[in-house]
Amino acid sequence: MKNKKFDYKLFGAVIFIALFGIVMIYSASSIWANYKFHDSFKFVKSQSVFFIVGILIMLFLAKIDYNKYKKWANVILLGCFVLLVLVLIPGIGSVRNGSRSWFGIGGFGIQPSEFAKIGLIIYVSKYLANNQKDMRYIKKGVLPLLLVIGVFFLLIMLEPDFGTAMVIVLTLVVMIFISGVKISFFVKIGLLGLLGIVGLVIIAPYRMMRIVAFLNPWSDPLGSGYQIIQSLYAIGPGGLLGQGFLKSRQKQFYLPEPQTDFIFSIISEEFGFLGILLITSFFAFIFYRIIKVSLQSSDLFGKYLAFGLGTGIIIQALLNISVVIGLLPVTGVTLPFFSYGGSSLLVSMASIGIILNISRK
Amino acid sequence: MFYNNIHIRIRYVFLVVLICLVITIIKVFYIQVFQYEKLNNLAESLWSRKLPISADRGEIVDRNGKLLATNITTTSLVIIPSQVKDPEDTANKLSQILKSDYKDMLSHVTKKTSIERVHPEGRRLSYEVAEAIDNLKLDGVYLVKESKRYYPCDNLLSHVLGYVGIDNQGLSGLELYYDKYLTGEDGSIKYFSDGKGHKLELSEIYEAPTPGITLQLSIDLDLQLALENELDNAMSKYEADSAIALAMDPNTGEILAMSSRPDFDPNNYQNSSTEIINRNLPIWMTFEPGSTFKIVTLASALEEKTINLFEGSYTDTGSVNVDGATIHCWKHGGHGTQSYLEVVENSCNPGFVSIGLDLGTERLMGYVKDFGFGAKTGIDLNGEATGILFNPSKMGLVETATTAFGQGVSVTPIQQVRAVSAAVNGGSLYRPYLVKNFLETETNSVIKKVDVVKDAQVISGETSELVRFALENVVAHGSGHNAYIENYRIGGKTGTAQTVENGVYSSSKYILSFIGFMPADNPEIVVYVAIQNAKNTVQYGGTVSAPIAKNIFKSAIDILDIDPSEEAIPKEYTWLDTKYVEMPDVTGLSLEEAKKILKGFKVEFSGNGNKVVYQSPGAKMYVKESSTVVLMLN
Repeated sequence: MKNKKFDYKLFGAVIFIALFGIVMIYSASSIWANYKFHDSFKFVKSQSVFFIVGILIMLFLAKIDYNKYKKWANVILLGCFVLLVLVLIPGIGSVRNGSRSWFGIGGFGIQPSEFAKIGLIIYVSKYLANNQKDMRYIKKGVLPLLLVIGVFFLLIMLEPDFGTAMVIVLTLVVMIFISGVKISFFVKIGLLGLLGIVGLVIIAPYRMMRIVAFLNPWSDPLGSGYQIIQSLYAIGPGGLLGQGFLKSRQKQFYLPEPQTDFIFSIISEEFGFLGILLITSFFAFIFYRIIKVSLQSSDLFGKYLAFGLGTGIIIQALLNISVVIGLLPVTGVTLPFFSYGGSSLLVSMASIGIILNISRK
Repeated sequence: MFYNNIHIRIRYVFLVVLICLVITIIKVFYIQVFQYEKLNNLAESLWSRKLPISADRGEIVDRNGKLLATNITTTSLVIIPSQVKDPEDTANKLSQILKSDYKDMLSHVTKKTSIERVHPEGRRLSYEVAEAIDNLKLDGVYLVKESKRYYPCDNLLSHVLGYVGIDNQGLSGLELYYDKYLTGEDGSIKYFSDGKGHKLELSEIYEAPTPGITLQLSIDLDLQLALENELDNAMSKYEADSAIALAMDPNTGEILAMSSRPDFDPNNYQNSSTEIINRNLPIWMTFEPGSTFKIVTLASALEEKTINLFEGSYTDTGSVNVDGATIHCWKHGGHGTQSYLEVVENSCNPGFVSIGLDLGTERLMGYVKDFGFGAKTGIDLNGEATGILFNPSKMGLVETATTAFGQGVSVTPIQQVRAVSAAVNGGSLYRPYLVKNFLETETNSVIKKVDVVKDAQVISGETSELVRFALENVVAHGSGHNAYIENYRIGGKTGTAQTVENGVYSSSKYILSFIGFMPADNPEIVVYVAIQNAKNTVQYGGTVSAPIAKNIFKSAIDILDIDPSEEAIPKEYTWLDTKYVEMPDVTGLSLEEAKKILKGFKVEFSGNGNKVVYQSPGAKMYVKESSTVVLMLN
């Protein structure tokens, strides 16, 4: 295998988008941060630290031979499994926004489900690469894999973190799809998934409220529809060109915690449709570069890994944006590279680091 | 190739992802472009709070632009509860300054509303109170400017202007009638607040209030002042129950001045009883007009040519029997044989009974209605009365006879003024009105001019000329002589009517009235005066009301710039009157000759020549006997 050139285009796009993200976190969070912590830069500072650490990790992983993950895939997955179990134990895992999904370490929080995402993608990539021929047989090839995925899905749903669980499952299913499994299987799995969602709604009725809110947010403007309405009040008045940088009004205590899940609304408000066009173009470009890496990889594991990591990022982005603009019910997924959150940023940048390494082989 | 299947599916996924991205972009475009208006308006109302700024009410000015009603700025307290940081403390401090109940104030301060007004203790604050509140610099407590109605002339024209309530809403008079025009559109200061209700340092949007439209009245403030003054004098002199005066331009229906006593101060209307405020006597009060009504009978008979002022004669024996009822003349023993002109001059009741009976019920009542009696005049005020007439189909001769001299009918002063105006202006019945122009507030340019409304042609121009002549004679020779002004032509008619108390005529309470016009040959003003229950005086309209009208005419001469006339009918003198003589023409004569002719006058001259080039007063003027004449010599 000859070494190819480092993919500067992908690297540059990621650095740009992450920097833009930090700037937007400042704009979105400064008022909240000042109100809560008397420090407008509170969120920017910690996000910047993660950003720098993220770059280092990305550059480091770009140099690490990705084939090592294949060797260590089972160990990594086991580690993730242990963390996901630990986080459920009160006293070890801490609760945020109703989910026991965090390890509080110092001032930072770490989300094991984010790391489980990478662990699972590595594991599935290895599994698909090793069992390429068996993937035509559902029982022999697909079901064992679904069993593993199902266990992790359940663990994450116990937190509960529906959004991350959805991203992971969707990503892995898409990976299985490209491995050559028959289409009819996915129709069946799709129906199953639909039934599953119905089941989940029956278990926890607040999810139904979210769905209703998404169909008509004005039916419960102060309750389930509140976030969507506040989001639309940010996006709509943004118009074509936006209100201008720092000039969002919805971040002034109207949209709750605007620096996290709904940062896309604030970007829409401040930079308008043109800003949104720019961001989506960058996401499309990044995904395009990753797909290219996957297609050009001569190694099956590398192909799956690059594709899986890229799909994970783009599915998460699509889910987040769809929620924010009212195309999907509120699920609680962050926007990669933009939303405030160390784990999310680190995992996204680490993914890019791995992809960069794949691109060189 | 081995990877072919995988690569195809990867490309499928890439395509699906691109489609998803495009869908999201389309959706964002839809939200930001097609839903922009709707969402922006909704969000704007979420972000902004409005502090109201009350609009100035339109002013009311007289025909020359002098202020009759204007506005002064006051300060009011407004609370925005979401911005109040310490409700207890705020309520405590405010209740102390306003001297109001703490609990009451606390409920204002904590009310779940975007903007709370503290009514009424927080309205129209004095300067000291406003400053005290301002000095506290309390969060969520605002002082906003409010406009308060102010009537600079106090009681003047009070019934016509009316008054406004605490929210500047018109409650009576023109303020009520034209409330829609006078009321402006409130403005606001729109400021933006964050989700916690705190004011943001974003630019405030000022929406200027639109002031109401200025009303320009037909009223002449100077004439109104003169008229008010006369009423005050009459009230104190005669200790009357009420007094009414009204001046109208007979050629248009414009009310030039209008007032009555008792009146009120619209600035402090609370101090007057609602009875006084609500009763605008010139349009509300109905009573038997008495002899002033004879003008209508006269005009009708002249138009129908049933009498001839100069040729026919009527012998008054002091009473007349109509259908078994005896009707007395006001003069005991009667007036003897008179021409019909003398019947008018003497205001002879039996004479008018005869005129009325000659006309007949149908024709007389037809004219009474044509002159506008029994119906509202349509003046631009609320609360006008219609008066009461006999039903013509049930009228007997007695009713016709009494109607002819003004008894048994009930009319308003404004109806009389309108009817007499028609009788003397050539026969046109105009609709009386007060608002002449609607003016733009800033520039005072005319937005809309009110047109003169001619409701009917009642009598012919020739008839009207005869009426004027007869009534000028009434003032020069007859019962109206107390209204006579030298060198001016005045026509008019007195009236003395008994008032009805508890359904029967009172033998002691009268309404003494006079209605007159000037100049008699081409009337520019009609004046009506009525005094109810005057004390310490003879109960004749000619004694009480005519002199008042005369004073109003005197003021009108200057104010309306009415020229003296050389063709005035000389007054007939009694021994009590100072005699006036006609000034002979001495210009062009020598000083010697002039002195000879001017015997009996004090002659003063200037200049050294011997020929008179100018004399003052001029020739044919009526001057007091033995008064001074100034001659200028060449």
